[in-house]
Amino acid sequence: MRLVWVILVREYLEKVKTKGFWIATFALPAGMLLLMAISVGLSIASASSDRAFVLLDRTEVLGEQVAGRLTAAGYDMELLESDPGAAEMDRRVSEEEIEAYLVLGDRTLSAGAFAYRGLDRPSGARAALFEAVVADAALAHRLAEVGDPEGLRALVDGGRLEYAMVVDEADAAESGQAPETRQIARAASIAHGLAGAIFFYMTMAIYGAFVLRSVLEEKRTRIVEIVVASVRPWQLMLGKILGVGSMGLTQLSIWALCGLLIGAGGMSLVASMQPNLDLSMISAAFPTGGAMLLLVVYFVLGYFLYSSLFAAVGAMCTREEEAAHAQAPLIVLLMVPFIAQISTVGGGGFVWMDWVALFPFFSPIMMFPRAVDGSVSGWMVAASLALMALAVWAMAWLGGRIYRVGILAQGKRPTIRELYRWVRAG
Amino acid sequence: MTQSPVRLSGVHKSFGAHAAVSDFDLEIPKGCIYGLLGPNGSGKTTTIRMIMDILMPDRGAVELFGREPDYAGRSRVGYLPEERGVYEKMKVSEQLVFLGRLRGVAKDAARKRTKDWLERLDLGEWAQKRVRELSKGMQQKVQFIGTVLHEPELLILDEPFSGLDPINQDLLESIVREQRAQGTTILFSTHLMEQAERMCERVCLVSRSRKVLDGDLKELKRRERSGTVAVEFDGTVPHQIEAAAARQIEETLAAWPGVARVAEQGDAWHLSLEAGVGTAPLLAAAAEAGAPLRRIELLEPSLRELFVRHAGSDNDGGHGAESGGGPR
Repeated sequence: MRLVWVILVREYLEKVKTKGFWIATFALPAGMLLLMAISVGLSIASASSDRAFVLLDRTEVLGEQVAGRLTAAGYDMELLESDPGAAEMDRRVSEEEIEAYLVLGDRTLSAGAFAYRGLDRPSGARAALFEAVVADAALAHRLAEVGDPEGLRALVDGGRLEYAMVVDEADAAESGQAPETRQIARAASIAHGLAGAIFFYMTMAIYGAFVLRSVLEEKRTRIVEIVVASVRPWQLMLGKILGVGSMGLTQLSIWALCGLLIGAGGMSLVASMQPNLDLSMISAAFPTGGAMLLLVVYFVLGYFLYSSLFAAVGAMCTREEEAAHAQAPLIVLLMVPFIAQISTVGGGGFVWMDWVALFPFFSPIMMFPRAVDGSVSGWMVAASLALMALAVWAMAWLGGRIYRVGILAQGKRPTIRELYRWVRAG
Repeated sequence: MTQSPVRLSGVHKSFGAHAAVSDFDLEIPKGCIYGLLGPNGSGKTTTIRMIMDILMPDRGAVELFGREPDYAGRSRVGYLPEERGVYEKMKVSEQLVFLGRLRGVAKDAARKRTKDWLERLDLGEWAQKRVRELSKGMQQKVQFIGTVLHEPELLILDEPFSGLDPINQDLLESIVREQRAQGTTILFSTHLMEQAERMCERVCLVSRSRKVLDGDLKELKRRERSGTVAVEFDGTVPHQIEAAAARQIEETLAAWPGVARVAEQGDAWHLSLEAGVGTAPLLAAAAEAGAPLRRIELLEPSLRELFVRHAGSDNDGGHGAESGGGPR
């Protein structure tokens, strides 16, 4: 094991000490932060304003409601009791006492049209908000005139599908969550499953390629001939896989930490801006501890499964171009479950797919989502993990045999029959 | 007798229809410098790769320290392959410490030895540079250090000197000799006959996948003496005297007892003797003629001559152009 450790450390340091690793590692959270900052910044910039707005209500019925709702949205609204005249209002705008003034007039109740007068055109977000608030107030007023405003409002808003999951009452009571929270949690778990499938697809392919390239480099430079003089091939392969895996875990830990910080920061930001919001609804959208644990377990098993094969492919080839061809079957093995999974997000009645998900090579991408959204029972998940463990053992054996012969073989890529001989040899 | 570190018996290896090594026997005694000589493509590297268990022989047995080549055996070997493998992205000292640790040297000892060796080979200031920043020759020296760092009992060096400038060749040569003095057995392959002649105690000549000659170098040469004698006289260096005078001397020499043929060769005349004739009659003839004799020597064949004699003219593809200087 000492040799495996020496190899692991070399592999790990060589990967982690590169600039590329740190750029790739921090580009993702930085990109996320930047996106968040842009969207928050934009909404702040478009929503608020230093100066006040004045609202002049000639309909005499909508003023209070419109002013109230815009104030709630963060605007400093002043509802005028009497009309000072257009000239006076324009003067206040041009002397920059106020940002702009709104006039609700004849066509506001009939068609939702109203005047906005300011030095600058209102931003898209602001215009949309003002339009929505005014139109909604006008509609509410008109509906009230007809009678049964709630019913009509529901019709105007479009029909409503009232979905209810059949749940065990005892379970529901036990979870102690409000129905809305449960719904959010369910939607979130589907999203987490999808995110997990994408995550597995990417990490298996990327880290697998790292292992492949590392094997190929040692073979190409022939340094492997020196190394295997005193190290058994399985030790070299295991050390390499563990080294790249440790690099992967370092990267994932950094991402998880950043995600946690960004999430917590985002929560407190939201909480400070909207004090009345029910935070339990938001926290229901975060993955549970159990889901995170499953993610790690599936990652570790899936990584070992695929990386032993990527190592074997690397050992079969002598040039990068060859390797690109030779790894195609493995990429297909990743793509098939990925496509199957994203095209049936959230279940959708393909019960037989649950059984497909038991296939060890498909399990990370297909069984993990099913496990976190609870659409398969616990024993299926346990069975898939057991099958994967078995497959890891089998592939490590197979990959190890191919690797052992392959790293010292030169010349053209072996045929299937030659591969069979490699596996059987010794 | 102590056990031979390497023994090959009846080893055969072919690639497809091409036989790379045929019916090869080899025994390397402990504690000598053994040269595996032959032109390119004669099977030297294949032989070495079989000793290191990188290739499996089709037939025959390879023994390393008296057993089939296994990990325990190979760990006692320092192996420098012909293909110079390095981790290009690693720093020089990190790479050497890594290789040392793989061969069981403790971390601190590996660091210390790496530092000492780098100083010794003039690479001290390159210790923290990445290997790919080094020249080919420097990389080769780094690789050599990686080969000896774990103080192996047997060094197997495949063309260790090719690609090095004369100064570094001499440096490496002296280190190899020093290792030999410490009791290390050294097997190295080369196509540079002159160098092998300088360094080896024993040689094995291979040609076209077969062994043509092997044994103690001095012994071989004695056995292969060609019956040529070099004579020099004071004041009559062949190419410095008049042609007529030279011809006269040549005729005189040809008349000496047992001389079959006379040829100018540098500062000397080479006399080819008839079979069974020694140098004594020549000395007598010289004394009688009162010739100012400066040197008379029974010549031994150079390694190159031996090789040409045994491998025949069918080997002109490789060694002729690469063997460096001509016969002396």
